[in-house]
Amino acid sequence: MIVNLLSRAMMMSTPLLFGALSEVFAERTGVMVTAIEGIFLMGAWAGFTTAYISGSLSMGLLFAALAGLLVSILYAYLCVSLKQHQIVTGTAINILVAGLCSFLQRVVFGVPLSPLTVEPLQKIAIPLLSKIPVLGPIFFNQNILTYSVYLLVPLGFFILYKTSLGLIIRSTGENPEAVDVSGINVSKVRFVAVMFSGLMCGVAGAFYSIGYLGMFTTNIIGGRGWIAFAICFLGNWNPIGAFVGTIIFGLAEAFAILMQSSSSTFLPNELFIALPYILTIILTISRKSFNVPAKLGSAYVKEN
Amino acid sequence: MEKPFFELKDISKYFAKVIANKDVSFSVNRGEVLALLGENGAGKSTCMKILYGLYRADKGEIFKDGVPIIIKSPKDAMRYKVSMIQQHFSLVSAHTVTENIILGNVKGKINWEEESNRIQHLADKYGFSVDAKKKIKDLTVGEQQKVEILKALYLDANLLIMDEPTAVLTPQEIDNLMNFVKDYSKQGNAVIFITHKLKEVMSVANRIIVMRNGMVYGNVNKEDTDEIRLSKLMIENSIEELEKPKVDELKKEVCVSLKNICVKEDQEIPLLNNISFDIHKGEIFGVAGVSGNGQQELCMALCGAQKINSGSIYLNNKDISNLSIKDRIGLGMAYVPSDRHRYGLVMSMSLAENILLKTSYSKQWSKNGLIDKKKLKDTTNGILKDFRVKASGPFAIAKELSGGNQQKVIVGREVENCGDFIIFDQPTRGLDLGAINNVHSAILSEKEKGKAILLVSTELSEIFTLCDRVAVFYKGEIQGIYNTSDLNSEKIGLLMAGYKNEGESING
Amino acid sequence: MDKKTRDIFITSFLAILFGLICSGIMILFLGKNPISTFALLFSSMFRDGYTIGEIFVKATPLIFTSLAFAFTFKANLFNIGAQGQFYIGSLVAASISLLIPHAIAIPIAIIMAFILSGIWGGLIGFCKARFKANEFLISMMSTYVALNLMNYLLRTVLLESKGEYPQTDSLSKNTWLFKIVPHTRLHVGFILAIVVAILIWLLLYRTTLGFRIRAVGQNQEAARMSGVNPELIFVFAFFISGGLAGLAGVTEVNGVQHMLLQGFNPSIGSIGIGIAILANANPIGIIFASILFGALQVGGTIMGQISGVPSSIIDLMEGFVMVFVIISYFIRNKWEINREKKLLTEGVK
Repeated sequence: MIVNLLSRAMMMSTPLLFGALSEVFAERTGVMVTAIEGIFLMGAWAGFTTAYISGSLSMGLLFAALAGLLVSILYAYLCVSLKQHQIVTGTAINILVAGLCSFLQRVVFGVPLSPLTVEPLQKIAIPLLSKIPVLGPIFFNQNILTYSVYLLVPLGFFILYKTSLGLIIRSTGENPEAVDVSGINVSKVRFVAVMFSGLMCGVAGAFYSIGYLGMFTTNIIGGRGWIAFAICFLGNWNPIGAFVGTIIFGLAEAFAILMQSSSSTFLPNELFIALPYILTIILTISRKSFNVPAKLGSAYVKEN
Repeated sequence: MEKPFFELKDISKYFAKVIANKDVSFSVNRGEVLALLGENGAGKSTCMKILYGLYRADKGEIFKDGVPIIIKSPKDAMRYKVSMIQQHFSLVSAHTVTENIILGNVKGKINWEEESNRIQHLADKYGFSVDAKKKIKDLTVGEQQKVEILKALYLDANLLIMDEPTAVLTPQEIDNLMNFVKDYSKQGNAVIFITHKLKEVMSVANRIIVMRNGMVYGNVNKEDTDEIRLSKLMIENSIEELEKPKVDELKKEVCVSLKNICVKEDQEIPLLNNISFDIHKGEIFGVAGVSGNGQQELCMALCGAQKINSGSIYLNNKDISNLSIKDRIGLGMAYVPSDRHRYGLVMSMSLAENILLKTSYSKQWSKNGLIDKKKLKDTTNGILKDFRVKASGPFAIAKELSGGNQQKVIVGREVENCGDFIIFDQPTRGLDLGAINNVHSAILSEKEKGKAILLVSTELSEIFTLCDRVAVFYKGEIQGIYNTSDLNSEKIGLLMAGYKNEGESING
Repeated sequence: MDKKTRDIFITSFLAILFGLICSGIMILFLGKNPISTFALLFSSMFRDGYTIGEIFVKATPLIFTSLAFAFTFKANLFNIGAQGQFYIGSLVAASISLLIPHAIAIPIAIIMAFILSGIWGGLIGFCKARFKANEFLISMMSTYVALNLMNYLLRTVLLESKGEYPQTDSLSKNTWLFKIVPHTRLHVGFILAIVVAILIWLLLYRTTLGFRIRAVGQNQEAARMSGVNPELIFVFAFFISGGLAGLAGVTEVNGVQHMLLQGFNPSIGSIGIGIAILANANPIGIIFASILFGALQVGGTIMGQISGVPSSIIDLMEGFVMVFVIISYFIRNKWEINREKKLLTEGVK
């Protein structure tokens, strides 16, 4: 049962890591992608719809990424190019996307009589490795997106701390003026970082619809985007921290699912459903030494 | 004749509220130190930021060696080997020296060891004692400036623009900087030195461009001019000399008394160590020192924003050490903070609301539970009139005013609310001479009213003109308390740099 | 009218217009004629007295939730959790009305819903003040906690006597907010909303307390140096904000639903934020913006019933309008700067 729980935790943490890691990159340039919930949802819808129509899950993932990218471009245009308030803009876009997805769902599918489903991503057992007792089923019998997590974390760490690009990203969130003076276009750095986040979060959203459930509902994301957003904060804007955070939340979510299905009457189900959210609150409160990018959330305005 | 190294021709630049530059033309030659002299807001920084590609000119051309060039971004400027050190350094304080210098100048994977060795080598070559692996936030301001200069050297700059580089340095550090500038220009490089200090201009520049209201008012060789002639070019109307009220015998009555104040954060070196002094009624007590040596903490401890770890503060023999800011304001303590944008004003609010800010708890503004708008308006109008604030009225928004007028509003408000004690923290920083004059006469008139005044300043001339006694701060400690008349700039400079002359100071 | 006010009207009008145009384009995807759809939308709103009354019924809770967002926004705080505070208020209102089936339950419900959802919100402010926690995240998460709390209570102690659906029994008629216009559902809660909006405006702009709240919002450091305790303001602002959202619960439960349903009005919090954005967080502007959004909802719902256009077009429309409102902030600022620049350059010539 423990193995089952951990295996599920790995799986449930996958989209959170996609979201949190890309949020780390965006926030290190000083932009909070507060449209993250909407981008997740857009990705979930686009991924499902494409997969349903084309019959191909990889097409679904591709279009989920593109749909996420489109939303992020709108967000970046408003927040980076027009320098509007990031929280306000994110809220507006989340409302827009929620309306858009339920409207488009209706446009494409009408009012279906039975629930629409696709076959979700299959687990791919890696030969030999998956046969290792305990560790095998947890780490090496997962779907393709979960495998990519193993690559993304070290890659993200390497880019952020060992490359010129990473130095620029980190400096942009700390002191955009220094970056400007060094001849780098601050808005460009931020815009691209948000676009990257859009691609990743689109895929993350699709994980819920076609990677896991095989269906789409308008409340499928249910705040998971915000949890990824929170993990970025709690992980101290660091890829490794984000990884640790996603594992914790993945565990919480897997645990909640397990408890619900075991139908114990000892504690109410609702408590387990709320567990990830309560955990976020507790961690946000108890988290002491924050390493916030100094200019996080503020637009870089230069008089002209 | 040889073409000038860089030339600006008819540069104009308009901002939303000011004409920053109007038909500015001048040139700089190889091997020359050019001073750009003018008051705050004269447009010096703007035209240099245009040359460096940070701003785009609305009109005008730039030439290098007689050939027209287009500079759209600092990247272009760097390609033409131009470097600029901003007044407020543009360094990432959470990053190391190396990270800051190579930012945007390396590609792909970074070999940190190799890069920091290269930078350490460069620093050693120029005799800059800077550790390439240290974080910027752990460096002194003087060292941070060296990092900025190193960045220019790293890029092989031939034209170095420095915006008010001496504002934060000790007299001794200034000497070192001047020597560097002279050496650097002797190697065929050019330096443009932005400043408003006449003395520096005369000591370092070969040629001087004087700017006023966004226009060029003078282009003179150093040999052909002197400080008096320069100041006439720089200032529109000459300013009447202030007459310092005669220093009577100090009134014996002590108003404010500090006893062994210590402020520590996180067990590190104390920010304030064992500070004790008295301020008498009618006395202007100066605090001199390079900024960042505990002055800010002292003011914050006095007004109640900084908790003190030990010691006590007395106002009129009442122990106020544990009172809140609100209670201290209630007792009539007034405070003109150094950072007026951050601590003094709410920039997006009206002047009337800013007048209300410090006394919002006072019953005087309430009528039936609501704000007495008429009274507030009248009081504001009175302050605007008394301090000759240039504003459209009491409902003008604070950020629409010039820096000098904003400061007059703060000074007016604090004087209005002041009981017996008023703190002026760098009250004239960044102001033009007219506004400085206004602020100085306000300080002197408070003195005449018999109030106790604490004046923190990094401008030595201000200390010498106004203060009766002065305490020199260094690393959170008092180097000594002196009668102003017993000091000269050389002596105070040594004290500010941490050299202590035992036995010379008088007792607080 | 000065130029700034004129700009506000022009740009807000254009934002709404562009929002409608974009939604019209979306309607084309359904193979419907957007113009006739909009015509239907508007005629639906004003079909009869009942639908007109319905506009104000829908506007009532929106006024409260958008005031909730606007109030903390003035202190530069973000209360994204109005939805959860609304649920807490609903729970309190329903419980009290079920416990005390008399008219006296109404004032008690109003006061207790305000206080308890105020405390729920105030806790967020407390976390911000005491632990420097990010109020945006906590308020966001608190909604999900409140939702699950409501689900739990509806499944257990508050479950209807039939035990069939997760909802309460109907409230006693004594505890219903009385109607102010016959043959509509328009109840006295609307008047309450208007009065509260005006009181909030007075508090913010005519009292020293409100001044301090705004001062903390605009420049926390300067406010602190002037003797204001920003931490207390955080708690107070969130308390009021939570209380306001809780009042929406009372007007919905006692005024409209007359029972508590699981997960009802699921987007009242986010739409409230949208309205606050449209109204630039001005309490008086919020009244009008809420009525506008209320009208859209009424029209959209009826339209969804009688034509093939789903009512989600309304959410879409609101989303587009908000995005264009944000763009209009930028444009107004740009116009302002250009005007000043022009004035300046003309002065030079």
